Amino acid sequence: MKATNFKVISRLAGDVVVLYPQGYLNNLAGESLVSKCNSYLSQGIKKVVLNFSGTDFINSIGISLLLHIMEGLKEGGGVLCFTNLSKVHSDTFEMLGLTNHMLVFGDEEEAFRYFDSGSSS
Amino acid sequence: MPFNAIPSKDFVNREADIDYLKQLAASGKGAVAGNILLEAARGMGKTELLKQLYRILFWEDRGVVPFYYSFRRSALKANHFAKDYFNRFIRQYLAYVKRDPSLAENMSAPLARLVPVMYSLKLKWMIDLVDDFQEHLWNDDPQAQAVGAISAPLTAAARGGNTVLIMFDDFHMANQLYETSPGDVSGPISLFDDSINTSLCPHIMTGSPEGLLESIFTDKSFRGKAERMFIGPLPEDVAHSLFSSLCERLGIRDNRELSLKFMNFLGGNPLYIMNMVKSLRKMQKKEITERDLWECYSYEVSQGETFFYWSSVLGEFVGTAGGRRMAAEILIQYTRSDADMPEAGMLSRVLGVRESSLMPVLDAVSISGMMQPASSESKDYVLNDFIHSLHMREVEGVKRERARELIQSKYFPAGGAASCFEMIIPMIADAELVASKAVEQIGRNMNLSSEVTEQIQLAIIESCINAMEHSGSYDKRIFLKFSVQRERLEIIIESPGKFFKPGTDETLDIEKQLSSDNKRGWGFKLMRRIMDDVRIERLADRTRVILTKNIKPDEVLNESD
Repeated sequence: MKATNFKVISRLAGDVVVLYPQGYLNNLAGESLVSKCNSYLSQGIKKVVLNFSGTDFINSIGISLLLHIMEGLKEGGGVLCFTNLSKVHSDTFEMLGLTNHMLVFGDEEEAFRYFDSGSSS
Repeated sequence: MPFNAIPSKDFVNREADIDYLKQLAASGKGAVAGNILLEAARGMGKTELLKQLYRILFWEDRGVVPFYYSFRRSALKANHFAKDYFNRFIRQYLAYVKRDPSLAENMSAPLARLVPVMYSLKLKWMIDLVDDFQEHLWNDDPQAQAVGAISAPLTAAARGGNTVLIMFDDFHMANQLYETSPGDVSGPISLFDDSINTSLCPHIMTGSPEGLLESIFTDKSFRGKAERMFIGPLPEDVAHSLFSSLCERLGIRDNRELSLKFMNFLGGNPLYIMNMVKSLRKMQKKEITERDLWECYSYEVSQGETFFYWSSVLGEFVGTAGGRRMAAEILIQYTRSDADMPEAGMLSRVLGVRESSLMPVLDAVSISGMMQPASSESKDYVLNDFIHSLHMREVEGVKRERARELIQSKYFPAGGAASCFEMIIPMIADAELVASKAVEQIGRNMNLSSEVTEQIQLAIIESCINAMEHSGSYDKRIFLKFSVQRERLEIIIESPGKFFKPGTDETLDIEKQLSSDNKRGWGFKLMRRIMDDVRIERLADRTRVILTKNIKPDEVLNESD
């Protein structure tokens, strides 16, 4: 796995925002992701997809910041979906017992289908 | 002080010796000569034996007043010695009568303040003794002061009616008493003639090196006045039992087979055994592996209590930094030599120093008892390794941690047949990725599947960021060692600074974490889930995390993969 400098790309699709955390998700990176997410929340966007296809390692600080995002969306009545997790990412979430508290999909399309089905409301 | 003896249950296999000494104390006649010359190699427990006997006489077998005096370099000037000796005797005597150790331990209050205590105990003779001694002080006569102090226990025995058992620790140093400058008094030990020759006060005397003490007692004034008593090493089973019980008390699981072998190596020396256990505890060992033993041992002889013990012994004989370096050179030459005594002329040529400069240090080292030729049958391996460690530090300029590693590698080569890699990373942002990159290559070398490699990469990232967050040290570096075997990968991450020990994984509750402000603390849980073993130890000023991964066959890619 290559660890590259972190950046967050986002794409708005209707009432859903897809965030692409790219690179090594650590403290600074995690905070920029939280801030990006919060900025969409403040605009009334409550459906968030985190697409990890471009994410390298996620360290424990990164994980704790993901928990902040989960909490923030839960409190604001939003929904967070995780997609495109690599084996090491999903194993990590599994090991920490986080998967029971996350909506995980194979890819963005699956997440969008979930939103379209109305199950998230 | 005589009251700081170790618990009697830890003082094993010396019951017969204590009984014999008690008999001497009780009668003064049961022993062959009325005095005992206690001989043993250093660390075998001579001082502790005296303290144990003192404790018994003080608290249990009443009737004999114990008096313990340890000769010290700082109190060898006659007038200092006299005041120190007299003070300690009076206080210990009063402490005994009142069964109050604090009277002996508090040396700061002037003796005059104790006169009311003496009066209330009807010790009129003691008040006379104090007055007489005060007169010697006013007269400024060091010889009279020393004689007055030394005869105080005799007076006490004669007038107080109780035998006084005098215990002299490091008695060989009495031969270095002086009036104004070292060596200005001829045969100062003869000051003790009357004391040792009286039947009122039996004496037990220890000293090191034994040869020096013995030579004192072949002097005609002392000849035949002392019986020799030897304290040998602990037998293997007793040594192991001591080691095992100390480990158990500190929550360290013993490995009988390994530690038995190790006790032989330590030569049944109780001091070494106790220091080893303390070291195991300091390093937070919970169970004993061969590597743990050698690691703690190498720590002990390079920077632990054993190092400081031998270092202070050397300091007794060689005071200056230059002398110490030369002593290290002499000792290392001697450990490589089969001769009984190095020949000064040759040594001077080998070391490149003038014989006139060499001789004082050579003499000092010779009487320190630290010389043991390579051919010695009862070789003290610990002392030998201390000498090597001392030489590395004093002469070769090797840092203490490196010295420890070199000693450890002599007995336990890192990783056996493993490939070892070491690296140092700075505590700066993203430096952990450099370590993870090393793991990536190691994983490739080991042909590990990418999933396994990535997990191990994550574990090392966690360990490094943990070190960065918690070390608090000015030395902003992390030391990494990778030991690679076909079926095992071990990664050691060391960081200087304060010790960090995480809580248990059980304390992490995902529900609580989700609703709590603090969502941190996943690092060690993650490491424990990824690796087969995660150990956290304390090594000198470093926290050490050892990550071990046992490689399963299905985690290795086949050629066809």
